Amino acid sequence: MKELKILLILIVLVAIGYWGIEPYAHSVMHGEVKHPDFKYSDIQTTASTTGDPAKGKELFMANCASCHGLKNDGINPGMDKNAAIASFNVVPPDLSNIASIVDHKFLAAFIKNPQEATKNPKFAMPPMAQLSDEDVGHIIAYLSSVAKKDLTGKEITVEACGRCHGVKYQKIQAETPADNLKAYLGKVPPDLSVMGKAKELEYLETFINNPQNGLPGTSMPRLGLTQEATEKVVKYLDEIADPHREQRNKLGVWVLGYLVVMAGLTYAWKKKIWKNLH
Amino acid sequence: MRLMDWLDERLAIRQLIKVMLTEYYVPKNINFLWSFGVLVMLVFAILVVSGIFLLMYYKPDSHLAFDSVNKTIMMDVEYGWLFRHTHAVGASIMFLVLFIHMARGIYYGSFKAPREIVWITGYILFVLMSATAFTGYLLPWGQMSYWAAQTITTLFEKIPFIGPDLVVWIRGNYIVEDATLTRFFALHVVFLPLLLIVFTAIHLYAVRIPGSNNEDGIELTKEEKKHGKGIPFWPVFMAKEFFVMSVFLIFFFYLVFYQYKFAMDPINFTPADYLQTPMHIYPEWYFLAFYEVLRGFFFSQNLGLIAFVLSMFIAAFLPWLDTSPIVSGKNRPIYKILFWIFIADFVFLTILGKLPPTGLYAWLGFAGSLVYFAFFLALPILSKIEKKKVAGGR
Repeated sequence: MKELKILLILIVLVAIGYWGIEPYAHSVMHGEVKHPDFKYSDIQTTASTTGDPAKGKELFMANCASCHGLKNDGINPGMDKNAAIASFNVVPPDLSNIASIVDHKFLAAFIKNPQEATKNPKFAMPPMAQLSDEDVGHIIAYLSSVAKKDLTGKEITVEACGRCHGVKYQKIQAETPADNLKAYLGKVPPDLSVMGKAKELEYLETFINNPQNGLPGTSMPRLGLTQEATEKVVKYLDEIADPHREQRNKLGVWVLGYLVVMAGLTYAWKKKIWKNLH
Repeated sequence: MRLMDWLDERLAIRQLIKVMLTEYYVPKNINFLWSFGVLVMLVFAILVVSGIFLLMYYKPDSHLAFDSVNKTIMMDVEYGWLFRHTHAVGASIMFLVLFIHMARGIYYGSFKAPREIVWITGYILFVLMSATAFTGYLLPWGQMSYWAAQTITTLFEKIPFIGPDLVVWIRGNYIVEDATLTRFFALHVVFLPLLLIVFTAIHLYAVRIPGSNNEDGIELTKEEKKHGKGIPFWPVFMAKEFFVMSVFLIFFFYLVFYQYKFAMDPINFTPADYLQTPMHIYPEWYFLAFYEVLRGFFFSQNLGLIAFVLSMFIAAFLPWLDTSPIVSGKNRPIYKILFWIFIADFVFLTILGKLPPTGLYAWLGFAGSLVYFAFFLALPILSKIEKKKVAGGR
């Protein structure tokens, strides 16, 4: 009885200490993590998100194809990769699947004014003032018609993040060379191999949804990913950061089971030895 | 048993077993808190074994260290994650077990005559263990590793005359760099563990001479212990220790498999970058109380530093601070109150150590630091009062 009382005191002290240095300290240090807003309610645009894909393709060839390729439809960018890096310090993305990854309202606003939508005044793409609201709708309709549906987390990560971020442990290299990224963004963006461990998953969702909510002042542009795309990216980052989770959970049961048996045996042995004490 | 005879002729092995185990008596009136010494040994063994496996894949080089830990060990090596989690959780739990082991000694007066050597060697072990933890923490070469090392080595700058030169000498560079990593690696894997083993041996030998203290703080002769008031260490007391160890291992491996995150700070999954300081720099939980004493004197860095060094070492002088003839805290009502205030303060400082040192927290830290030292400074006064009481009571 007395020993149980001592054990209880130890447990209470450890529990108070643990609560203080883990949940409580983290709540003080990080405050409330803002919730992601997948409706992009701050974006007000008159641009349309629907239209005629055939017209959209014409508009795309005239206004976008000089920098952007579209592999799904056999369109190569007018500018080769190295020329693009030399002029913008970043590789313009291939737009094959962009309509499956990015929220359409965001995309419409982005085409009209990239700097405002991404919250990054230095964003490399110029505003497309020459396009009318209907034109933007046609282009988005065209992009939707060619985009692959049901992309995997890995595919989305490569398409949405891979131009600036590498994932070294998955042998994924950032498409843009590090020196150019440094010139474009001010620093080389971090590798994402163990990002799923370095940050809380809720934080990652918020951060991808709006980097300024996670790291005010960061030079990472807002990407406008849909909720589904964001969740897939975060899930992928979580899986690659901790590939042995399943093995760990399975093995843990066996180890703990073995130890419980051992505790039973040692208790029986102790009882036997101590029986003869007075 | 012919082997035993053969060994006995050459090594007097029977005599050794008698002295160390079968005729080494432990008092009957002790509780499971006296098993924490064995738990420290157990965790140390776990750390050595898991450490050797980690050593087989770890690369002590500032360009390779981070990936060798986070990729090679954590992803490529079969069960590498198990060794790393075991080592990380082991390091953390080592200090929990050590603190309990020390607090038991303080509460029951185990540091008092004739056990000063046991207490001092134990304290040296605590300091060595702290140094081992600190040097090992740099090895994964993550952000927190780097900045913890940078912060702590900077403290030496405050030493008069030699400070700035000493810092450069410790780091092997003007900042924490590859040279720092390789020397910390050498200290962590060879030098400090060897010293730990040597001092553990002295510590265990020292406790064999006066024997364990007990709950009531009554001195028992070997004869008394042999006839009724004690139990042989082997097999009787050890039978209980094995049970305590088993229960402890359930708790330990539950943490390793399902709750290891408390021992791995997320910030350390970002590779070290000397150009970017993390928002919050704090040590692992077991140094937070001392760290808070360092920050507690927020109005003067020098005072904070002196207080920090004192807070780490003052407990070593307990046998001379507390000279009361009454040994066990069980029989010392005032001491009991002081002790529990001290323990509560230690937990309080630990929690504060992780919070940002601003506004109210700064003042609370200052108050907590004063209470920490008040415990030690109150002991000489209490000793005087108790001496009078004992003398008057006769």
